[in-house]
Amino acid sequence: MAAQPKPLPAHQPSYLEGGGILGWLTTIDHKRVAVMYLVSALFFMALGGFEAMAIRVQLWSPDNHALSAATYNAFFTMHGTTMVFLVVMPLLLGFFGNFLIPLQIGARDVAFPRLNAMSFWLAMVAGVLLHLGWVRGGLPDAGWFGYANLTERYFTPGLAIDWWVIGLLVSGTSTVLTGLNFLTTIIAMRAPGMTYMRMPMFIWSLMATSILILIAFPALTIGLIFLLFDRFFGTHFYVASAGATPILWQHLFWLFGHPEVYIMALPAFGMISEIIPAFSRKPLFGYPMMAYSICLIAFLSYGVWGHHMFATGMGPVADSAFAVTSMLIAIPTGVKIFSWIATVWGGSLRMTTAFYFALGMLLEFTLGGLSGIMHASAPIDLQQTDSYFVVAHFHYVLFGGVIFTIMAAFYYWWPKVTGRMLGERLGKWHFWLTVVGFNLTFFPMHILGMWGMPRRTYTYGADMGWTHLNQVETIGAFILGVAFLVFYFNIFKSLTSAERAPADPWDGRSLEWSTASPPPAYNFAAIPQIRGRDAWWMLKYGHAGSRGVAAYASGAAPSQPPPGEPLSVEHIHMPAPSIFPLVSSLAVGMIGLGLIIDWYRIILIGAAVTVLSIVGMGFEYADYGEESHDPEHAPSSGGVDVRKIGVWSFIGSECVFFASLISTFIVYKSRSVSGPGPQILNIPLTSVSTFILLMSSLLMVLALAATQRGDKLWQRIWLGGTAAFGLIFLGGQVYEFTSFYHEGMGLTTNLFSQSFFVLVGFHGVHVAIGVLWLSVLLVAAMAGKLGKSRALSVELVGLYWHFVDVVWIIIFTLVYLMQAVPGA
Amino acid sequence: MSDIADAHGGQNHHPGAATYLTIAALLAGLTAMEITVFYVHALHPVLVPLLIVLAAAKFALVAMFYMHLKYDKWLLTGVFIFPLIIATLLLVSLILLFAYLSTHMTPAG
Repeated sequence: MAAQPKPLPAHQPSYLEGGGILGWLTTIDHKRVAVMYLVSALFFMALGGFEAMAIRVQLWSPDNHALSAATYNAFFTMHGTTMVFLVVMPLLLGFFGNFLIPLQIGARDVAFPRLNAMSFWLAMVAGVLLHLGWVRGGLPDAGWFGYANLTERYFTPGLAIDWWVIGLLVSGTSTVLTGLNFLTTIIAMRAPGMTYMRMPMFIWSLMATSILILIAFPALTIGLIFLLFDRFFGTHFYVASAGATPILWQHLFWLFGHPEVYIMALPAFGMISEIIPAFSRKPLFGYPMMAYSICLIAFLSYGVWGHHMFATGMGPVADSAFAVTSMLIAIPTGVKIFSWIATVWGGSLRMTTAFYFALGMLLEFTLGGLSGIMHASAPIDLQQTDSYFVVAHFHYVLFGGVIFTIMAAFYYWWPKVTGRMLGERLGKWHFWLTVVGFNLTFFPMHILGMWGMPRRTYTYGADMGWTHLNQVETIGAFILGVAFLVFYFNIFKSLTSAERAPADPWDGRSLEWSTASPPPAYNFAAIPQIRGRDAWWMLKYGHAGSRGVAAYASGAAPSQPPPGEPLSVEHIHMPAPSIFPLVSSLAVGMIGLGLIIDWYRIILIGAAVTVLSIVGMGFEYADYGEESHDPEHAPSSGGVDVRKIGVWSFIGSECVFFASLISTFIVYKSRSVSGPGPQILNIPLTSVSTFILLMSSLLMVLALAATQRGDKLWQRIWLGGTAAFGLIFLGGQVYEFTSFYHEGMGLTTNLFSQSFFVLVGFHGVHVAIGVLWLSVLLVAAMAGKLGKSRALSVELVGLYWHFVDVVWIIIFTLVYLMQAVPGA
Repeated sequence: MSDIADAHGGQNHHPGAATYLTIAALLAGLTAMEITVFYVHALHPVLVPLLIVLAAAKFALVAMFYMHLKYDKWLLTGVFIFPLIIATLLLVSLILLFAYLSTHMTPAG
């Protein structure tokens, strides 16, 4: 710290002040991005809630026609899609995650602020695309999990599913960028002294969640890409009459779908692990076991997708394996529940609204967990599947477990976000109405499910005996609606009241409570030195024991950082706002819109603007890298640059992306019912292409070596050579594809051709992106802006290029060479 | 390794041109072996394991030397290896699940 400490100005402007509308549109401040997520999620929560109420109105009485069957289908589809993708994830990750990660780990922002803003704008574009059906083509109506082959154009013509496919692809891209950003931030930007075992439990949960996002979302992306190809380009990835199997969609969807449950649940577990200790005035019980449990849950969650598919007939071995893994996941989950109870046990409890909701979550989530274990047993699951029992189960998990936690988190962190308190009296009303409404709505669904009421049913006959319980549920839903109105009113009242919240209203334990409410743009005047777990508690009281209780009760608890820390803020350089995240996201939206309304000029313009704005963002980032070259910003994780961790995380996610494509090719290559097969492949030509791509990797590392030693001439030669070899490889691919076409094998000819073209084509797209990236660097080198100090830029493109190379090594072996073996 | 070059202020040690060229030669040799194995009919009974071993060797060489995992922090290896293992498990699982499906179900699935 070169600058001498100076007193802070009397009034530190909060992150909410200044900038006007343009300031918000161009912001890359993690807190402002979080607030924008909050506003959008509250809007979509109201919309999804309205759809749920409409569903309950329709089910009020037998043979009811309050809604048409088509509208009913659209509403339950959009209720699920909206709540999962536009409410719960944006609230957990976009709002709480974005706001709290840097504050809890003692950083000034996330690792990639521009990418963070782009994630938000992409999420907004996705939300708009998903709802454009209101305007044109109708709302999606095939269920939130869009089972094939119901989603094929033959069964669902029109634009509704098109909006859904494109919207979810954009939403998935946004989420993956968020996961990559969070993982990198947590790994590399923790304050000095914050080891992994000193991180707040919320940070642990977000680290595990980010990893899950990176390995789970690619499967959904691939499933959606196949569906997009089926609907837009006439392939048959899910068409049984062409030899394909709609079961492929279920595998790809649930490979994403069950981890997705934990992508929503784990952050909630993390938040509840922050809230319960704060109001119990005790450290979290069993911190290490809680951390390990989060990791174990995340790992196991990737191996349980099959329990959604017991009814498809996967065979006794697969059923048994999925039953075992599904039961195993109850163990670490149980550890967490017992740890929370043990934290409360013997604590000095403060019965705030946040704590009410936290305790409510413990009860309701446990009930949902218990019915979940029933689904792990294949024979029992076969009785319950597609019944209202399942609807009851997942609402107890997602509403009882996650929404209750989100509400607790609202009451807990709202003062930090806004600088104002939420009303406790209204909060208690909110809580009790929620508890009553929630249990009246969802508990009877267990019974109706056991009685055989199928989920997603439009109506039911009076002779089924389901009327009274359905009416109880509808009454409960309206009580729940009132509860949410109270919540929204509480927010409104809080924002319009003059009462200000102190910096540390709950005598908190983690670092966010050490800064002002709301925090300044730079978060901390000085990056804190972490001396132990519960970092702020340690700074306040010196140890993690119970001394804070007495200090707080006597009013002696400090609310400002301890003396001795530098208070000058002049040396803090925050990254400048950028319009590129907004522009690039809008351009991506144009591509999606163009695909759906069949206007190729929009697609081309969107693609061009996307590329240009991303390149522009890259050059902005380079400036930021220099600007922030200050000891405080040095990454804490062994000196590894955040960009390098980010690229490696992206590469890890791409492994799953290509594994999904390759496995589909292997499954489908011999299922074609007509047309040419693997014998059409040209091994000599591809061998030459393979050699060229391998040698391009050599040129790439030579370019890096030249950059590192400051040899500008050879740097340009090798960079240009790498791009040229990439272009030659792409030329070979174009020649290969063209010759296949002339020999009678087009994209839609059969299952072999479509899985081949999509796999190899996507690899080609990756090569093309690499060539583009290399070309940008080459231009920078020619302009003299790629000196020795920028070697990392060359290393990053190199990592991407070599990954494309190793993927081709696998494709060359599995797709080309193994075709010589019958049945391989 | 005598040709190790210092980069990034002494934090990372990347190999120099000689190592890169050696790896390129190995990659070319392994690719030649793959193509040879493909055309030798006598080897077809063991083609699958042979090709997998050769591809794995090439993969490892690129990842370790060109992507510098051999020289960089273990953290980066972990960030890459964990999803790679997951991806491999996914690949094997889907192949096995569909193999069962194709032998016990109608083509329509």
